[in-house]
Amino acid sequence: MSHTKTATLKAESITLAHRQFIVAENLSLSLPTGKVTAIVGPNGCGKSTLLNGLARIHAPREGSVLLDGKDIHRLPSKEVARKLALLPQDNTAPEGLTVADLVRFGRQPHQGWMTQWSKEDQQAINQAVLAADVADLSGRALDTLSGGQRQRAWIAMAVAQQTPLLLLDEPTSALDLGHQIEVFELIRALSRQGKTIAMVVHDLVNACRYADHMVAMKSGTIIEEGTPADIVTPELVKELYGVHCDLLQDPATGCPLLANLRPCNS
Amino acid sequence: MSSEITMPDTRNTLVNLALFGLMVLILLTSLSTGTVQISLSDTVSAVVGNADPMTDFVVNELRLSRVVAGSLSGAALAMAGCLMQTLARNRLATPGIIGIDNAATAFAVASVVGVGLSLAPSAMALAGAAAATAIAFGLAGANGTRGYRFIVAGIGIGAIAGAVTQLMLSRVAIDTANAAYPWTVGSLNARDNRSVLILGIGVAAGYLILMCVTRALNTLQFSDAVAIALGTRLRAVRILGLGLSVMLTGLAVSVCGPVGLIALLAPELARALCRPGKIPLTAAALAGASFMLVADLLGRILLAPLEIPVGIITAIVGSPYLLWILLRPSPRSLT
Amino acid sequence: MVILASLLNGAGPVSAIDVMAALMGAGTGEAFFVVTELRLPRTIIALITGLALGLAGAILQSMTRNPLAEPGLLGVSAGSGFAVALAILWGASTATITTMVAQLGALAGCALVIAATRVQGLGNDPVRLVLAGATLSSLLMALTSMLMLMDQRAADEIRFWITGSVAGKSLSMLWATLPFILVGLALIGILARPLAAMALGEKAAVGLGHHPGRIRFLITVTVALLVGSATALAGPLIFVGLVVPFIARAFSGPDIRKTLWLCVPIGPAVVLGADVVSRLIATPSEMPLGVVTALIGAPVLLAIVRAGRMPSL
Repeated sequence: MSHTKTATLKAESITLAHRQFIVAENLSLSLPTGKVTAIVGPNGCGKSTLLNGLARIHAPREGSVLLDGKDIHRLPSKEVARKLALLPQDNTAPEGLTVADLVRFGRQPHQGWMTQWSKEDQQAINQAVLAADVADLSGRALDTLSGGQRQRAWIAMAVAQQTPLLLLDEPTSALDLGHQIEVFELIRALSRQGKTIAMVVHDLVNACRYADHMVAMKSGTIIEEGTPADIVTPELVKELYGVHCDLLQDPATGCPLLANLRPCNS
Repeated sequence: MSSEITMPDTRNTLVNLALFGLMVLILLTSLSTGTVQISLSDTVSAVVGNADPMTDFVVNELRLSRVVAGSLSGAALAMAGCLMQTLARNRLATPGIIGIDNAATAFAVASVVGVGLSLAPSAMALAGAAAATAIAFGLAGANGTRGYRFIVAGIGIGAIAGAVTQLMLSRVAIDTANAAYPWTVGSLNARDNRSVLILGIGVAAGYLILMCVTRALNTLQFSDAVAIALGTRLRAVRILGLGLSVMLTGLAVSVCGPVGLIALLAPELARALCRPGKIPLTAAALAGASFMLVADLLGRILLAPLEIPVGIITAIVGSPYLLWILLRPSPRSLT
Repeated sequence: MVILASLLNGAGPVSAIDVMAALMGAGTGEAFFVVTELRLPRTIIALITGLALGLAGAILQSMTRNPLAEPGLLGVSAGSGFAVALAILWGASTATITTMVAQLGALAGCALVIAATRVQGLGNDPVRLVLAGATLSSLLMALTSMLMLMDQRAADEIRFWITGSVAGKSLSMLWATLPFILVGLALIGILARPLAAMALGEKAAVGLGHHPGRIRFLITVTVALLVGSATALAGPLIFVGLVVPFIARAFSGPDIRKTLWLCVPIGPAVVLGADVVSRLIATPSEMPLGVVTALIGAPVLLAIVRAGRMPSL
């Protein structure tokens, strides 16, 4: 995509809290430009909260999130939405909304108070539905689609925003294996086109395979960060999830492969 | 495929036109119906300004102001309902059901019977609507505004407000109480022209503002995270929407009293007709005006020469529909 | 617990006595008339009404397992009110007919409520049921208003009656309703044990040798008898059946039998207290009793709904 410029996103010692309960303290993180970053960790470790913090959904109690070096909460929301798109976990849509309707919402950040639908908008949408492979579905209502199709439609909406940054919160949860691979391949393809992507993932195996950069979190802190090949070790897996495993190398791709998973106390 | 994507709004435009035509038709019928029956063509010429003095007097002096008041308050209630449903993400969360109408009435009655402050009814109704909204949304707090709990809390607020109204009425002389009675059931008889004028200004201003923020409002159909990610200034839009909803409700109540269920029915109809994905404010406003006029017309002709207050008609017509929503074995999501 | 209960029981009559004493100071002969002819019937009627409504609320809540199931909120009172309005419109005025009509209306309303709880999903959703009941109530109230419009003479009679008041009711009214209330009370005595078993679930109740269908029918009849009589006596008083068991449960815990016993003193105390307040708050005129019960009851409703967890029954 020609007009995809780059943008940087980083968190500087942010503290995130739900009411009195501090979820993550003093986190710093910088997303490598043009790469896929996977945030992994056990349930409740604060990874989704971190992603929401990065996406300015959740305001940090301390510290700041910087988009292109500026505090994200001080920038106009629309300007941020032209640089950063988010696919949240809870994506319910009104009944009967079609894929085309949904994708069109992705153009909102680019439209002014009174500006009409422009050619540029139309182009962006056509590209987005092609990229997410939902062109054939555009007239269908979201509630009639399969889980994988629906997720691709939502990604198409985020793609239509034409942002250099894309954040995804568990984009493959509740999808079967085939649909998971479909969505991961789409994410990788988007990254090849120059997008900087961060995603929260449960599935460590696919995270190893599709991420260029991995952030491992446990109880609100980042305990390891680096390429999957560098940081994924049996020790890390044990620390994160409390399971033993053996580590192999995928003969086809060379990325780490977990095998023989078993509970620690056996 | 691309045609599907490029032409967004033909259907909604058609719906709006049809509803507008319907409203005009009902408006004319309403103008022509009454103790003196006037033919539709005579009515039209009277409105345009060339009819005999008698017809002119009946249509323009007697009936026009009532019909204008009815359509404005119907439109205001419907828009307020549509907004509040969207903001609370709860299709039952209309001002009437969560007690805001009743509170506005209580305050307005306070003004009429002269208890306490002596502000104009419009201002008092606004204050009442604002207070009840603040309480309802404040009480919802962490429990959220989704689901039925919010609604039942609103019923509690409505009951308190209703009791307070009764309390005030029981403390004043019977004549004053009778003067305030139409207010407690919802009727177009108690209107005064200044309140109608203020309502007119309010409806026009509210509609214009809403049209400017319609895109942002549309994103509220999704979760908060999606709305923010699309660049919506959530807090600002919420405050604006809630404020407008309160204003429209308060002003409408100051004209017609607590006419229930229009705020629920009109947006329901509009949503059923329009394409999903947009908040159908225009269609809801037109449908609301039509509902109000039909209900008023029915109230005038059903037991003529007696007149049934419009609030009673909407309750009798609307309640079964609401019951049907509630009692269906598997209701759709509340949103 | 018994002491607490008796204290609560005392609260009502004592404040009534205060009022009497104040009146005694004005003139003994007149006061005697006021007390025996006006105040005493009123006090007795308030006591009986409170007893009936409190117990009706408690058993209805227990059976629907819904802390919000209140006869007034759910439209039972409105049904009975509508029936009475209809009867007045058709020229009925003797106390007996009104009572019967009110009970029939209450029976219809109550049957509707029980039927609604059997609608799939609704029985487990206390709040939705209440909303449906409130809607039914407002529908019936609108219909009643319409009846009032149709006949001005009847309207005055109905309007006086519809806000709920225990003033100006004669003891003959009480005699007319008393048999029904006694039958209702007797039924509660019989039903207490099966109700406690039903609290364990219908299957468990069957296992203990009860017949849920029969119990449900009897409860419907009992609630109708009690609410219908109370409505005939005092007009539709909403929220009494919510507040009384709510207070009682705070002391008794979940056991329905204890709750019912506690309702016996608390119900009359609440209604009588409300009646006293209604007399004092708007002196020299009076405020309808229904207004006071709404002012007391609505905050309780808010409190129950606001509690993070519905108290389970």
